[in-house]
Amino acid sequence: MNTGYLAGDLRALRAAGLMSLRQIRRYPTNLFGTIFWPVLLPAVWVLMGQAYSGGGDPEALNAFASRAGTTGIALFVFIGYLMYMWLSALLWGPGTALRQEQIRGSLEAVFLTPVSRLVPLFGPTLTNIVWIVADLFVMGLAAWLLFGVVLPLQGVVLAFAITLVGVPAMYAMGALFGAGVLRFGEIGPAVQFTRGVLSMLCGITFPIAMLPGWAQATAVAMPPTHIVDGMRNALLRSASPGDLVPTAAALIGLAIVFGALAVVVFRWLEASARRTGMLGRY
Amino acid sequence: MDELRAAVAIARKDIRNVSRYRFQVASSIFTPLYQGILPALLFGASFAVAGHVVGLEKTIGTQDLAGFIFLGGVMTGLVATAFWSMAMSIRNEMEAGTLEPTWLTPTSRETIVLGRALGGLFWFAFSQIAIFAIGMGLFGLRFRPEILLALPAVAIAIVAMVGVAYLLAAVVLLIKEANFFIDCTNYLFGVAIGAAFPITLLPGALQPVSYLLPATYAMDLVRQQGLGTRPLLDPALEYVALIVTTAIVFPIGLWAYRRADGRIRRLGTINQY
Repeated sequence: MNTGYLAGDLRALRAAGLMSLRQIRRYPTNLFGTIFWPVLLPAVWVLMGQAYSGGGDPEALNAFASRAGTTGIALFVFIGYLMYMWLSALLWGPGTALRQEQIRGSLEAVFLTPVSRLVPLFGPTLTNIVWIVADLFVMGLAAWLLFGVVLPLQGVVLAFAITLVGVPAMYAMGALFGAGVLRFGEIGPAVQFTRGVLSMLCGITFPIAMLPGWAQATAVAMPPTHIVDGMRNALLRSASPGDLVPTAAALIGLAIVFGALAVVVFRWLEASARRTGMLGRY
Repeated sequence: MDELRAAVAIARKDIRNVSRYRFQVASSIFTPLYQGILPALLFGASFAVAGHVVGLEKTIGTQDLAGFIFLGGVMTGLVATAFWSMAMSIRNEMEAGTLEPTWLTPTSRETIVLGRALGGLFWFAFSQIAIFAIGMGLFGLRFRPEILLALPAVAIAIVAMVGVAYLLAAVVLLIKEANFFIDCTNYLFGVAIGAAFPITLLPGALQPVSYLLPATYAMDLVRQQGLGTRPLLDPALEYVALIVTTAIVFPIGLWAYRRADGRIRRLGTINQY
Protein backbone atom coordinates (compact mmCIF):
# COMPACT_ATOMS: atom_id res chain seq x y z
CA MET A 1 0.00 0.00 0.00
CA ASN A 2 1.18 3.54 -0.79
CA THR A 3 2.57 5.27 2.36
CA GLY A 4 0.71 8.45 1.50
CA TYR A 5 -2.61 6.61 1.41
CA LEU A 6 -1.84 4.86 4.70
CA ALA A 7 -1.06 8.17 6.41
CA GLY A 8 -4.25 9.64 5.01
CA ASP A 9 -6.28 6.68 6.29
CA LEU A 10 -4.76 7.03 9.74
CA ARG A 11 -5.64 10.74 9.78
CA ALA A 12 -9.19 9.90 8.71
CA LEU A 13 -9.40 7.23 11.40
CA ARG A 14 -8.32 9.77 14.03
CA ALA A 15 -10.83 12.32 12.72
CA ALA A 16 -13.63 9.75 12.89
CA GLY A 17 -12.66 8.88 16.47
CA LEU A 18 -12.66 12.59 17.43
CA MET A 19 -16.08 13.01 15.81
CA SER A 20 -17.38 10.17 17.95
CA LEU A 21 -15.89 11.69 21.13
CA ARG A 22 -17.53 15.01 20.34
CA GLN A 23 -20.90 13.31 19.94
CA ILE A 24 -20.49 11.65 23.35
CA ARG A 25 -19.77 15.09 24.88
CA ARG A 26 -22.91 16.57 23.32
CA TYR A 27 -25.22 14.09 25.13
CA PRO A 28 -23.99 14.15 28.74
CA THR A 29 -27.22 12.59 30.13
CA ASN A 30 -26.32 9.36 28.34
CA LEU A 31 -23.39 9.06 30.73
CA PHE A 32 -25.84 8.28 33.54
CA GLY A 33 -26.56 4.99 31.79
CA THR A 34 -22.89 4.04 31.97
CA ILE A 35 -23.20 3.98 35.74
CA PHE A 36 -26.77 2.72 36.11
CA TRP A 37 -26.72 -0.42 33.94
CA PRO A 38 -23.23 -1.78 34.77
CA VAL A 39 -24.17 -1.64 38.46
CA LEU A 40 -27.84 -2.62 38.47
CA LEU A 41 -27.82 -5.47 35.94
CA PRO A 42 -25.17 -7.63 37.66
CA ALA A 43 -26.35 -6.65 41.16
CA VAL A 44 -29.77 -8.14 40.43
CA TRP A 45 -28.21 -11.39 39.19
CA VAL A 46 -26.03 -11.61 42.27
CA LEU A 47 -29.18 -11.36 44.40
CA MET A 48 -30.80 -14.01 42.21
CA GLY A 49 -27.77 -16.17 42.92
CA GLN A 50 -28.33 -15.65 46.64
CA ALA A 51 -31.95 -16.77 46.22
CA TYR A 52 -30.97 -19.89 44.24
CA SER A 53 -28.16 -20.77 46.64
CA GLY A 54 -30.37 -20.42 49.70
CA GLY A 55 -28.30 -17.52 50.96
CA GLY A 56 -25.05 -19.49 50.74
CA ASP A 57 -26.17 -23.07 51.48
CA PRO A 58 -22.91 -25.12 51.37
CA GLU A 59 -24.46 -27.90 49.26
CA ALA A 60 -25.80 -25.46 46.67
CA LEU A 61 -22.54 -23.50 46.58
CA ASN A 62 -20.52 -26.69 46.09
CA ALA A 63 -22.81 -27.67 43.23
CA PHE A 64 -22.23 -24.26 41.64
CA ALA A 65 -18.47 -24.53 42.18
CA SER A 66 -18.37 -27.93 40.50
CA ARG A 67 -19.83 -26.31 37.36
CA ALA A 68 -18.34 -22.82 37.50
CA GLY A 69 -15.02 -23.54 39.21
CA THR A 70 -15.65 -20.97 41.93
CA THR A 71 -17.99 -20.13 44.77
CA GLY A 72 -17.54 -16.40 44.19
CA ILE A 73 -20.98 -15.76 42.68
CA ALA A 74 -20.75 -11.96 42.83
CA LEU A 75 -17.49 -11.67 40.93
CA PHE A 76 -18.50 -14.48 38.55
CA VAL A 77 -21.62 -12.48 37.59
CA PHE A 78 -19.89 -9.09 37.47
CA ILE A 79 -17.22 -10.40 35.08
CA GLY A 80 -19.94 -11.92 32.89
CA TYR A 81 -21.81 -8.64 32.81
CA LEU A 82 -18.65 -6.75 31.92
CA MET A 83 -18.68 -8.81 28.74
CA TYR A 84 -22.41 -8.12 28.30
CA MET A 85 -21.75 -4.38 28.45
CA TRP A 86 -18.90 -4.79 26.00
CA LEU A 87 -21.09 -6.80 23.64
CA SER A 88 -23.76 -4.11 23.87
CA ALA A 89 -21.27 -1.35 23.09
CA LEU A 90 -19.76 -3.43 20.31
CA LEU A 91 -22.97 -4.44 18.58
CA TRP A 92 -24.55 -1.02 18.94
CA GLY A 93 -21.19 0.56 18.01
CA PRO A 94 -19.25 -1.03 15.13
CA GLY A 95 -22.34 -3.11 14.45
CA THR A 96 -24.50 -0.10 13.78
CA ALA A 97 -21.95 2.55 12.77
CA LEU A 98 -22.71 2.09 9.09
CA ARG A 99 -26.44 2.08 9.81
CA GLN A 100 -26.12 5.43 11.64
CA GLU A 101 -24.39 6.89 8.59
CA GLN A 102 -27.11 5.38 6.39
CA ILE A 103 -29.92 6.94 8.45
CA ARG A 104 -28.19 10.33 8.51
CA GLY A 105 -27.84 10.13 4.75
CA SER A 106 -24.06 10.45 4.92
CA LEU A 107 -23.02 6.89 4.06
CA GLU A 108 -22.90 7.50 0.31
CA ALA A 109 -20.87 10.68 0.83
CA VAL A 110 -18.41 8.83 3.10
CA PHE A 111 -18.03 6.01 0.60
CA LEU A 112 -17.22 8.55 -2.12
CA THR A 113 -14.12 9.70 -0.23
CA PRO A 114 -10.79 8.04 -1.13
CA VAL A 115 -10.25 6.59 2.36
CA SER A 116 -10.21 2.87 3.07
CA ARG A 117 -13.57 1.27 3.81
CA LEU A 118 -12.15 0.23 7.19
CA VAL A 119 -12.31 3.89 8.29
CA PRO A 120 -16.11 4.26 8.30
CA LEU A 121 -16.37 0.76 9.73
CA PHE A 122 -14.00 1.22 12.68
CA GLY A 123 -13.27 4.96 12.99
CA PRO A 124 -16.47 6.18 14.67
CA THR A 125 -16.30 3.34 17.16
CA LEU A 126 -12.70 3.71 18.34
CA THR A 127 -14.11 5.43 21.42
CA ASN A 128 -15.86 2.21 22.46
CA ILE A 129 -12.70 1.22 24.25
CA VAL A 130 -13.31 4.23 26.53
CA TRP A 131 -16.65 2.72 27.58
CA ILE A 132 -15.09 -0.67 28.25
CA VAL A 133 -12.45 0.81 30.53
CA ALA A 134 -15.12 2.94 32.24
CA ASP A 135 -17.31 -0.15 32.76
CA LEU A 136 -14.33 -2.07 34.15
CA PHE A 137 -13.76 0.70 36.69
CA VAL A 138 -17.45 1.23 37.61
CA MET A 139 -18.17 -2.50 37.96
CA GLY A 140 -15.05 -3.15 40.01
CA LEU A 141 -16.06 -0.34 42.34
CA ALA A 142 -19.67 -1.59 42.54
CA ALA A 143 -18.59 -5.18 43.30
CA TRP A 144 -16.46 -3.81 46.14
CA LEU A 145 -18.99 -1.33 47.58
CA LEU A 146 -22.12 -3.49 47.21
CA PHE A 147 -20.80 -6.99 47.80
CA GLY A 148 -17.44 -6.44 49.52
CA VAL A 149 -15.48 -8.11 46.71
CA VAL A 150 -11.90 -6.85 46.69
CA LEU A 151 -10.17 -7.47 43.39
CA PRO A 152 -6.60 -8.85 43.53
CA LEU A 153 -4.12 -6.47 41.90
CA GLN A 154 -2.41 -9.15 39.77
CA GLY A 155 -5.84 -10.39 38.67
CA VAL A 156 -6.89 -6.87 37.63
CA VAL A 157 -3.71 -6.39 35.61
CA LEU A 158 -4.11 -9.77 33.89
CA ALA A 159 -7.83 -9.18 33.27
CA PHE A 160 -6.95 -5.86 31.66
CA ALA A 161 -4.27 -7.58 29.55
CA ILE A 162 -6.79 -10.21 28.40
CA THR A 163 -9.20 -7.39 27.52
CA LEU A 164 -6.55 -5.72 25.37
CA VAL A 165 -5.63 -9.00 23.65
CA GLY A 166 -9.33 -9.60 23.01
CA VAL A 167 -9.99 -6.18 21.44
CA PRO A 168 -9.03 -7.13 17.84
CA ALA A 169 -11.13 -10.31 17.95
CA MET A 170 -14.12 -8.45 19.35
CA TYR A 171 -13.83 -5.65 16.80
CA ALA A 172 -13.49 -8.17 13.99
CA MET A 173 -16.66 -9.89 15.21
CA GLY A 174 -18.46 -6.55 15.41
CA ALA A 175 -17.29 -5.62 11.91
CA LEU A 176 -18.52 -8.93 10.53
CA PHE A 177 -21.91 -8.22 12.06
CA GLY A 178 -21.88 -4.57 10.90
CA ALA A 179 -21.22 -5.55 7.31
CA GLY A 180 -24.72 -7.01 7.31
CA VAL A 181 -26.11 -3.44 7.26
CA LEU A 182 -25.05 -3.13 3.65
CA ARG A 183 -27.29 -6.05 2.83
CA PHE A 184 -30.20 -5.80 5.27
CA GLY A 185 -30.48 -2.13 6.31
CA GLU A 186 -32.38 -2.13 9.62
CA ILE A 187 -30.50 -4.37 12.04
CA GLY A 188 -31.84 -3.21 15.44
CA PRO A 189 -33.75 -6.46 16.08
CA ALA A 190 -30.73 -8.45 14.87
CA VAL A 191 -28.55 -6.64 17.43
CA GLN A 192 -30.93 -7.69 20.22
CA PHE A 193 -31.03 -11.24 18.97
CA THR A 194 -27.27 -11.57 18.47
CA ARG A 195 -26.54 -10.07 21.87
CA GLY A 196 -29.02 -12.47 23.46
CA VAL A 197 -27.55 -15.51 21.73
CA LEU A 198 -23.96 -14.54 22.50
CA SER A 199 -24.93 -13.88 26.13
CA MET A 200 -26.38 -17.37 26.31
CA LEU A 201 -23.43 -19.03 24.59
CA CYS A 202 -20.58 -17.26 26.33
CA GLY A 203 -21.57 -17.88 29.94
CA ILE A 204 -22.44 -14.32 30.97
CA THR A 205 -24.60 -15.32 33.93
CA PHE A 206 -24.11 -19.06 34.22
CA PRO A 207 -21.29 -21.56 33.67
CA ILE A 208 -21.18 -22.85 30.08
CA ALA A 209 -21.00 -26.36 31.54
CA MET A 210 -24.79 -25.98 31.83
CA LEU A 211 -25.16 -25.83 28.03
CA PRO A 212 -25.65 -28.88 25.83
CA GLY A 213 -22.55 -30.24 24.04
CA TRP A 214 -23.23 -28.64 20.65
CA ALA A 215 -23.73 -25.22 22.27
CA GLN A 216 -20.48 -25.58 24.23
CA ALA A 217 -18.65 -26.42 20.99
CA THR A 218 -20.11 -23.29 19.35
CA ALA A 219 -19.17 -21.21 22.38
CA VAL A 220 -15.50 -22.18 21.96
CA ALA A 221 -15.51 -20.51 18.52
CA MET A 222 -16.68 -17.18 19.99
CA PRO A 223 -14.14 -14.59 21.26
CA PRO A 224 -16.29 -13.46 24.24
CA THR A 225 -16.19 -16.98 25.73
CA HIS A 226 -12.38 -16.89 25.92
CA ILE A 227 -12.25 -13.35 27.27
CA VAL A 228 -14.78 -14.09 30.02
CA ASP A 229 -13.02 -17.34 30.87
CA GLY A 230 -9.62 -15.62 30.92
CA MET A 231 -10.88 -12.84 33.17
CA ARG A 232 -12.53 -15.30 35.54
CA ASN A 233 -9.33 -17.33 35.66
CA ALA A 234 -7.34 -14.20 36.46
CA LEU A 235 -9.70 -12.74 39.05
CA LEU A 236 -11.32 -15.79 40.62
CA ARG A 237 -8.79 -18.58 40.28
CA SER A 238 -5.53 -16.63 40.73
CA ALA A 239 -4.20 -17.69 37.33
CA SER A 240 -0.62 -16.73 36.51
CA PRO A 241 0.37 -15.01 33.22
CA GLY A 242 1.56 -18.39 31.93
CA ASP A 243 -1.87 -19.95 32.60
CA LEU A 244 -3.48 -17.36 30.35
CA VAL A 245 -1.22 -17.92 27.33
CA PRO A 246 -3.58 -20.48 25.72
CA THR A 247 -6.50 -18.02 26.12
CA ALA A 248 -4.45 -15.24 24.51
CA ALA A 249 -3.41 -17.55 21.66
CA ALA A 250 -7.03 -18.57 21.04
CA LEU A 251 -8.07 -14.89 20.96
CA ILE A 252 -5.33 -13.98 18.47
CA GLY A 253 -6.34 -16.92 16.28
CA LEU A 254 -10.00 -15.92 16.39
CA ALA A 255 -9.08 -12.29 15.59
CA ILE A 256 -7.34 -13.47 12.42
CA VAL A 257 -10.24 -15.73 11.39
CA PHE A 258 -12.99 -13.20 12.16
CA GLY A 259 -10.94 -10.32 10.69
CA ALA A 260 -10.37 -12.15 7.41
CA LEU A 261 -14.00 -13.20 7.27
CA ALA A 262 -15.16 -9.62 7.97
CA VAL A 263 -13.00 -8.19 5.17
CA VAL A 264 -14.22 -10.80 2.65
CA VAL A 265 -17.88 -10.44 3.62
CA PHE A 266 -17.65 -6.64 3.72
CA ARG A 267 -16.11 -6.45 0.23
CA TRP A 268 -18.65 -8.86 -1.16
CA LEU A 269 -21.62 -7.04 0.39
CA GLU A 270 -20.25 -3.64 -0.58
CA ALA A 271 -19.96 -4.74 -4.22
CA SER A 272 -23.50 -6.08 -4.02
CA ALA A 273 -24.78 -2.85 -2.40
CA ARG A 274 -23.16 -0.77 -5.17
CA ARG A 275 -24.80 -2.92 -7.83
CA THR A 276 -28.26 -2.82 -6.25
CA GLY A 277 -28.05 0.80 -5.04
CA MET A 278 -28.66 -0.34 -1.44
CA LEU A 279 -26.17 2.17 0.02
CA GLY A 280 -28.57 5.11 0.03
CA ARG A 281 -31.71 3.12 0.78
CA TYR A 282 -33.06 2.44 4.22
CA MET B 1 -70.56 4.47 26.59
CA ASP B 2 -68.90 6.79 24.04
CA GLU B 3 -65.70 6.74 26.08
CA LEU B 4 -65.75 2.95 26.15
CA ARG B 5 -66.16 2.86 22.37
CA ALA B 6 -63.24 5.25 22.02
CA ALA B 7 -61.09 3.09 24.33
CA VAL B 8 -61.91 -0.03 22.32
CA ALA B 9 -61.16 1.82 19.07
CA ILE B 10 -57.75 2.91 20.40
CA ALA B 11 -57.04 -0.66 21.52
CA ARG B 12 -58.04 -2.06 18.11
CA LYS B 13 -55.82 0.48 16.37
CA ASP B 14 -52.87 -0.48 18.60
CA ILE B 15 -53.47 -4.20 18.11
CA ARG B 16 -53.61 -3.73 14.34
CA ASN B 17 -50.47 -1.59 14.36
CA VAL B 18 -48.43 -4.18 16.24
CA SER B 19 -49.82 -7.09 14.21
CA ARG B 20 -48.40 -5.47 11.06
CA TYR B 21 -44.88 -6.01 12.44
CA ARG B 22 -44.69 -9.80 12.65
CA PHE B 23 -41.07 -9.72 13.77
CA GLN B 24 -42.05 -7.55 16.72
CA VAL B 25 -44.83 -9.96 17.66
CA ALA B 26 -42.43 -12.92 17.55
CA SER B 27 -39.87 -10.92 19.49
CA SER B 28 -42.40 -10.24 22.30
CA ILE B 29 -42.38 -14.01 22.89
CA PHE B 30 -38.77 -14.93 22.24
CA THR B 31 -36.95 -11.92 23.75
CA PRO B 32 -38.16 -12.65 27.32
CA LEU B 33 -37.26 -16.29 26.76
CA TYR B 34 -33.66 -15.90 25.66
CA GLN B 35 -32.87 -12.72 27.57
CA GLY B 36 -34.48 -13.54 30.90
CA ILE B 37 -36.11 -16.90 31.40
CA LEU B 38 -33.54 -19.26 29.86
CA PRO B 39 -30.44 -17.65 31.43
CA ALA B 40 -32.24 -17.57 34.80
CA LEU B 41 -33.20 -21.24 34.47
CA LEU B 42 -29.62 -22.24 33.63
CA PHE B 43 -28.20 -20.05 36.38
CA GLY B 44 -30.64 -21.52 38.91
CA ALA B 45 -29.96 -25.06 37.72
CA SER B 46 -26.23 -24.56 38.24
CA PHE B 47 -26.98 -24.57 42.01
CA ALA B 48 -28.93 -27.85 41.80
CA VAL B 49 -27.80 -30.85 43.83
CA ALA B 50 -28.76 -34.09 42.07
CA GLY B 51 -31.51 -32.24 40.20
CA HIS B 52 -32.92 -30.57 43.33
CA VAL B 53 -32.66 -26.81 43.73
CA VAL B 54 -32.14 -27.07 47.47
CA GLY B 55 -31.07 -23.47 47.80
CA LEU B 56 -34.29 -22.12 46.32
CA GLU B 57 -36.31 -24.33 48.63
CA LYS B 58 -34.44 -22.89 51.58
CA THR B 59 -35.14 -19.34 50.36
CA ILE B 60 -38.81 -19.52 49.34
CA GLY B 61 -40.09 -22.95 50.32
CA THR B 62 -40.27 -24.64 46.92
CA GLN B 63 -37.83 -26.30 44.53
CA ASP B 64 -39.93 -25.38 41.50
CA LEU B 65 -37.35 -23.24 39.71
CA ALA B 66 -39.24 -23.09 36.40
CA GLY B 67 -42.47 -22.06 38.11
CA PHE B 68 -40.68 -19.38 40.14
CA ILE B 69 -39.06 -17.88 37.04
CA PHE B 70 -42.05 -18.12 34.68
CA LEU B 71 -44.43 -16.56 37.22
CA GLY B 72 -41.91 -13.80 37.81
CA GLY B 73 -42.05 -13.30 34.03
CA VAL B 74 -45.81 -12.75 34.20
CA MET B 75 -45.49 -9.78 36.54
CA THR B 76 -42.45 -8.48 34.68
CA GLY B 77 -44.52 -8.59 31.48
CA LEU B 78 -47.41 -6.76 33.14
CA VAL B 79 -45.07 -4.07 34.44
CA ALA B 80 -43.45 -3.69 31.01
CA THR B 81 -46.90 -3.34 29.44
CA ALA B 82 -47.75 -0.48 31.80
CA PHE B 83 -44.42 1.27 31.25
CA TRP B 84 -44.01 0.84 27.49
CA SER B 85 -47.43 0.16 25.96
CA MET B 86 -49.49 2.48 28.14
CA ALA B 87 -47.17 5.30 29.23
CA MET B 88 -44.41 5.44 26.63
CA SER B 89 -46.88 5.21 23.75
CA ILE B 90 -47.69 8.87 24.47
CA ARG B 91 -44.13 9.61 23.42
CA ASN B 92 -44.57 7.56 20.26
CA GLU B 93 -47.62 9.69 19.39
CA MET B 94 -45.49 12.81 19.99
CA GLU B 95 -42.83 11.60 17.59
CA ALA B 96 -45.37 10.57 14.99
CA GLY B 97 -46.92 14.06 15.27
CA THR B 98 -50.35 12.63 16.11
CA LEU B 99 -50.60 13.59 19.79
CA GLU B 100 -51.98 17.06 19.12
CA PRO B 101 -54.82 15.87 16.82
CA THR B 102 -55.61 13.11 19.37
CA TRP B 103 -55.76 15.71 22.14
CA LEU B 104 -58.20 17.77 20.04
CA THR B 105 -60.79 14.99 19.82
CA PRO B 106 -63.71 15.11 22.28
CA THR B 107 -62.47 11.87 23.87
CA SER B 108 -61.30 12.38 27.45
CA ARG B 109 -57.53 12.24 27.98
CA GLU B 110 -57.97 9.47 30.54
CA THR B 111 -59.57 7.26 27.90
CA ILE B 112 -56.50 7.59 25.69
CA VAL B 113 -54.34 5.81 28.28
CA LEU B 114 -57.13 3.34 29.03
CA GLY B 115 -57.42 2.38 25.35
CA ARG B 116 -53.70 1.80 25.21
CA ALA B 117 -53.98 -0.31 28.34
CA LEU B 118 -56.52 -2.55 26.62
CA GLY B 119 -54.34 -2.92 23.52
CA GLY B 120 -51.24 -3.55 25.62
CA LEU B 121 -53.04 -6.14 27.74
CA PHE B 122 -54.13 -7.99 24.62
CA TRP B 123 -50.51 -8.44 23.53
CA PHE B 124 -49.46 -9.16 27.12
CA ALA B 125 -51.99 -12.02 27.31
CA PHE B 126 -50.98 -13.27 23.86
CA SER B 127 -47.26 -13.40 24.69
CA GLN B 128 -47.85 -14.96 28.14
CA ILE B 129 -49.99 -17.76 26.68
CA ALA B 130 -47.28 -18.49 24.12
CA ILE B 131 -44.49 -18.36 26.73
CA PHE B 132 -46.42 -20.65 29.09
CA ALA B 133 -47.08 -23.09 26.25
CA ILE B 134 -43.33 -23.20 25.54
CA GLY B 135 -42.62 -23.56 29.26
CA MET B 136 -45.04 -26.46 29.63
CA GLY B 137 -43.83 -28.16 26.46
CA LEU B 138 -40.08 -27.76 26.92
CA PHE B 139 -39.34 -26.99 30.56
CA GLY B 140 -41.85 -29.10 32.45
CA LEU B 141 -43.69 -26.05 33.73
CA ARG B 142 -46.61 -27.10 35.96
CA PHE B 143 -48.78 -25.21 38.44
CA ARG B 144 -51.07 -26.20 41.27
CA PRO B 145 -54.79 -25.83 40.46
CA GLU B 146 -54.97 -23.26 43.25
CA ILE B 147 -53.27 -20.79 40.92
CA LEU B 148 -56.75 -19.89 39.70
CA LEU B 149 -57.39 -18.42 43.14
CA ALA B 150 -54.70 -15.81 42.36
CA LEU B 151 -56.62 -14.43 39.38
CA PRO B 152 -58.36 -11.73 41.47
CA ALA B 153 -54.92 -10.58 42.63
CA VAL B 154 -53.77 -10.28 39.01
CA ALA B 155 -56.96 -8.38 38.10
CA ILE B 156 -56.40 -5.89 40.94
CA ALA B 157 -52.72 -5.59 39.98
CA ILE B 158 -53.79 -4.67 36.44
CA VAL B 159 -55.91 -1.82 37.84
CA ALA B 160 -52.96 -0.72 39.96
CA MET B 161 -50.63 -0.79 36.97
CA VAL B 162 -53.04 1.39 34.97
CA GLY B 163 -52.75 3.87 37.85
CA VAL B 164 -48.96 3.64 37.64
CA ALA B 165 -49.22 4.12 33.87
CA TYR B 166 -51.19 7.36 34.39
CA LEU B 167 -48.42 8.59 36.68
CA LEU B 168 -45.73 7.66 34.14
CA ALA B 169 -47.71 9.17 31.26
CA ALA B 170 -47.75 12.43 33.25
CA VAL B 171 -43.94 12.29 33.45
CA VAL B 172 -43.69 11.51 29.72
CA LEU B 173 -45.90 14.49 28.89
CA LEU B 174 -43.67 16.76 30.92
CA ILE B 175 -40.15 15.54 30.15
CA LYS B 176 -40.91 14.34 26.60
CA GLU B 177 -37.64 12.47 25.85
CA ALA B 178 -38.45 9.73 28.35
CA ASN B 179 -36.84 6.63 26.87
CA PHE B 180 -34.07 6.34 29.44
CA PHE B 181 -36.41 7.27 32.30
CA ILE B 182 -38.93 4.58 31.33
CA ASP B 183 -36.20 2.00 30.72
CA CYS B 184 -34.60 2.56 34.15
CA THR B 185 -37.81 2.83 36.16
CA ASN B 186 -39.28 -0.24 34.43
CA TYR B 187 -36.23 -2.27 35.46
CA LEU B 188 -36.21 -0.92 39.02
CA PHE B 189 -39.95 -1.53 39.43
CA GLY B 190 -39.56 -5.16 38.32
CA VAL B 191 -36.73 -5.64 40.83
CA ALA B 192 -38.64 -3.94 43.64
CA ILE B 193 -41.74 -6.14 43.33
CA GLY B 194 -39.66 -9.31 43.66
CA ALA B 195 -40.11 -10.67 40.15
CA ALA B 196 -36.52 -11.98 39.96
CA PHE B 197 -35.86 -12.79 43.62
CA PRO B 198 -37.73 -12.44 46.92
CA ILE B 199 -37.85 -8.88 48.20
CA THR B 200 -36.45 -10.11 51.53
CA LEU B 201 -33.07 -10.22 49.77
CA LEU B 202 -33.20 -6.52 48.92
CA PRO B 203 -31.09 -4.20 51.06
CA GLY B 204 -33.05 -3.19 54.16
CA ALA B 205 -33.53 0.42 53.10
CA LEU B 206 -35.23 -0.63 49.86
CA GLN B 207 -37.66 -3.16 51.32
CA PRO B 208 -40.18 -0.53 52.57
CA VAL B 209 -40.40 0.75 48.97
CA SER B 210 -41.37 -2.75 47.84
CA TYR B 211 -44.13 -2.93 50.44
CA LEU B 212 -45.63 0.29 49.02
CA LEU B 213 -46.08 -1.24 45.56
CA PRO B 214 -49.32 -3.14 44.87
CA ALA B 215 -47.63 -5.47 42.38
CA THR B 216 -45.39 -6.83 45.18
CA TYR B 217 -48.43 -8.39 46.86
CA ALA B 218 -49.86 -9.66 43.56
CA MET B 219 -46.50 -11.28 42.76
CA ASP B 220 -46.38 -13.00 46.13
CA LEU B 221 -50.00 -14.17 45.99
CA VAL B 222 -49.53 -15.64 42.51
CA ARG B 223 -46.45 -17.61 43.61
CA GLN B 224 -48.13 -18.73 46.83
CA GLN B 225 -51.15 -20.10 45.02
CA GLY B 226 -49.35 -21.46 41.99
CA LEU B 227 -46.27 -22.96 43.63
CA GLY B 228 -46.92 -23.05 47.35
CA THR B 229 -44.10 -20.64 48.21
CA ARG B 230 -43.72 -19.19 51.69
CA PRO B 231 -45.76 -15.96 51.84
CA LEU B 232 -44.33 -12.59 52.81
CA LEU B 233 -47.38 -11.90 54.97
CA ASP B 234 -50.62 -13.70 55.74
CA PRO B 235 -52.45 -14.06 52.35
CA ALA B 236 -55.59 -12.32 53.64
CA LEU B 237 -53.45 -9.43 54.81
CA GLU B 238 -51.69 -9.35 51.42
CA TYR B 239 -55.07 -9.01 49.68
CA VAL B 240 -55.96 -6.11 51.97
CA ALA B 241 -52.57 -4.48 51.28
CA LEU B 242 -53.03 -5.01 47.53
CA ILE B 243 -56.46 -3.35 47.56
CA VAL B 244 -55.37 -0.46 49.80
CA THR B 245 -52.21 0.34 47.80
CA THR B 246 -54.18 0.13 44.54
CA ALA B 247 -56.80 2.48 45.99
CA ILE B 248 -53.99 4.93 46.75
CA VAL B 249 -51.91 4.57 43.56
CA PHE B 250 -54.76 4.83 41.05
CA PRO B 251 -56.12 8.26 42.11
CA ILE B 252 -52.59 9.63 42.54
CA GLY B 253 -51.74 8.54 38.99
CA LEU B 254 -54.93 10.03 37.61
CA TRP B 255 -54.38 13.29 39.49
CA ALA B 256 -50.80 13.60 38.19
CA TYR B 257 -51.90 12.86 34.63
CA ARG B 258 -54.63 15.54 34.77
CA ARG B 259 -52.18 18.05 36.21
CA ALA B 260 -49.64 17.30 33.48
CA ASP B 261 -52.35 17.61 30.83
CA GLY B 262 -53.40 20.99 32.24
CA ARG B 263 -49.80 22.18 32.35
CA ILE B 264 -48.88 21.27 28.77
CA ARG B 265 -52.08 22.91 27.51
CA ARG B 266 -51.40 26.06 29.51
CA LEU B 267 -47.79 26.29 28.34
CA GLY B 268 -48.64 25.27 24.79
CA THR B 269 -46.00 22.56 24.75
CA ILE B 270 -48.20 19.75 23.51
CA ASN B 271 -46.69 19.84 20.04
CA GLN B 272 -43.10 20.04 21.27
CA TYR B 273 -40.85 17.01 21.44
